[in-house]
Amino acid sequence: MTTLVPLGAFIALSAALFFIGMAGVLVRRNAVVILMCVELMLNAANLALVAFSRRLGLIDERGSVFVVFVFVIAAAEVAVGLAIVLALYRNRPTVDVDEVREMKG
Amino acid sequence: MLDVIEPILFGVLALAIVGAAAGVVLADRVTTSALLMAFTFLNMAGMFVLLGAETIAAFQVLIYVGAITVLILYGVMFTPQAPRAYGLFFQKQTPAGALIAALAGLPVMVIAFAFRDTANIPPRGGDLVPLASSIFTDFAFPFEVASVLLLAAMVGAIVLVKREERGSGSAGPNDTTSPEHSRAKPVIGRARE
Amino acid sequence: MAPGPFGIDPTIWAALRLLIAVVLALFLILNGALLLIYLERKVQAAMQDRVGPYHVGPWGLLQTFADALKLIAKEDFRAGQTDAAFFIAAPALVFTPMLASLVVLPFGPSIVGADLNIGLLYLATLGSMGVLGIVIAGWASNNKYSLVGGLRSAAQLISYEVPGILSLVTAVLVTGSLSMVKITETQPGPFTNIFIIPLAFATYFIAALAETNRTPFDLPEAESELVAGYLTEYSGMRWGTMLALTEYGNVTVVCGIMATLWFGGWNGSGIDSGPITGPLLGLLWFTLKTYAFILVFMWVRATLPRLRIDQLMTFCWKVLIPLTLLNLAVTATLLIAFPDTRVPVAIANWLLLGAFLVGIPMLQERRLRRIRERLRAATRHAVAAG
Repeated sequence: MTTLVPLGAFIALSAALFFIGMAGVLVRRNAVVILMCVELMLNAANLALVAFSRRLGLIDERGSVFVVFVFVIAAAEVAVGLAIVLALYRNRPTVDVDEVREMKG
Repeated sequence: MLDVIEPILFGVLALAIVGAAAGVVLADRVTTSALLMAFTFLNMAGMFVLLGAETIAAFQVLIYVGAITVLILYGVMFTPQAPRAYGLFFQKQTPAGALIAALAGLPVMVIAFAFRDTANIPPRGGDLVPLASSIFTDFAFPFEVASVLLLAAMVGAIVLVKREERGSGSAGPNDTTSPEHSRAKPVIGRARE
Repeated sequence: MAPGPFGIDPTIWAALRLLIAVVLALFLILNGALLLIYLERKVQAAMQDRVGPYHVGPWGLLQTFADALKLIAKEDFRAGQTDAAFFIAAPALVFTPMLASLVVLPFGPSIVGADLNIGLLYLATLGSMGVLGIVIAGWASNNKYSLVGGLRSAAQLISYEVPGILSLVTAVLVTGSLSMVKITETQPGPFTNIFIIPLAFATYFIAALAETNRTPFDLPEAESELVAGYLTEYSGMRWGTMLALTEYGNVTVVCGIMATLWFGGWNGSGIDSGPITGPLLGLLWFTLKTYAFILVFMWVRATLPRLRIDQLMTFCWKVLIPLTLLNLAVTATLLIAFPDTRVPVAIANWLLLGAFLVGIPMLQERRLRRIRERLRAATRHAVAAG
């Protein structure tokens, strides 16, 4: 049992991936890349859920059930997000989030 | 024997995941970012297999690599941008953003090692039947709501990207098959005025 | 972990088994593609009343060898502006999922790469991974026709995954397991699943034709469409890998799935006859069933014309998906209502299949009549106007 990977390693990896994704959302300009970084964050959450579900001995794989719903939501979100980005691109040919600032106060 | 391979595999996969994720954030071309994201997803599937959740790993590849990556590639290809200098890919708040992420991330990563797993770990590969039973019995209502959510997302995405078509020149006055007779104009097109 | 033969250490034996499996799979695909290319040319020739290749070797058997040698010896040409990494990676991205799907196909009673308990889900997953390579191939060619061709092919592939996976799910409802080996074991006798869920077989057959880019859905790879679509810039062995190897490998895998799920896989007479002859006979039965379906694929290719992209998408979304969803709902309901017997499911499925086979031509006739009337009215207008 001692050479198995400890649960903390999985959670640390999930945290690393989440914060890299968060940095990407804060830093990048291209709207599609921001969507990609949001997907990275969702993946990090999935990893944490599955790790806790499998390693803490939870019954009935409930963490994995939640992960299935996160898959569904992520897919729906990417579809609608990309639709919005494409509609934006059609109105003005840019996906740069720094140039879309009509509503800025 | 598996005890020795598992930490090695974990190390390799973790390095690949973190490296590819960093590549997604730092790459200069969007297509490189998209493919590195797909690579991250594949390695995440490997991580799920390492944890023993094989069904989730199969779903991860099916949904993320097979569908979401293709969607993002479609999005990338339909929104071409002129090539720019590397510094222009990042917003003005880049140093602040990176600093915040690092400052928030490192303590969490250190605290994460305080979690400890229990002694009774479910057997590897036995997760299909409990997962399916849970989804269709205990969580049947969220399952149905999720399908309604997918339907709403599908309809919404289609409505958002429908083109505003003027009536085509060859249609006569009696032609009732042109697009403007059969559906309302999309709201997003009016945003310009 | 069991120690290997001659008392080899279990770790080394596991690694050696993996190596042997990969070599065998590559061997199977390369030779299978060789055989299938030759078979396709001869079968197409026979159906088109000509002879096919006969110069190279007896009955032209060495023709594919000659073709492969020619492809390998071709100049490794890459257009200047194409993206090097993606251009070179795309054939590998298309080939690898197909190779990986051979792992779970049950070739014989104890001849299976890995008896995953999610075997069918794994196959569906790998089928959906192949789309990525095609999009990248289309994009990396730096050619707008290739890009559009690649995106159209990807649209076709992801659209037809839905009825394919729904048909597989219907079959899984009846067999009760996702593991390919268990599915084969639940159909020992002559009454295999084809008698219970024939509509699922029909819809999966059509979806498989589209998933492997075979006629009538081979718009992406037809030479006259968009200058050969995403394959335009590929030549030599790159083209050989992307088109020939991958397509025939996919065809083999998909026909193997059909043989396993609906026709009993390696079941047949003489399975239990002995420790050596049993598996070999099982392998023979599986191969015969798979190649029977491959011949039907070739027959369809020689017979049907190609569908346009909008016809193919309309057929998928407006006909196949509602049909497979209806099939799934009806099968699931009947299986819950009558849990012990499969007869109601069989009756419902055959009725739906009959309705499908009769209903589609009827609806098409009605559409055609309406189009003809509208055309007649329009010409009458034009003639009356001047």
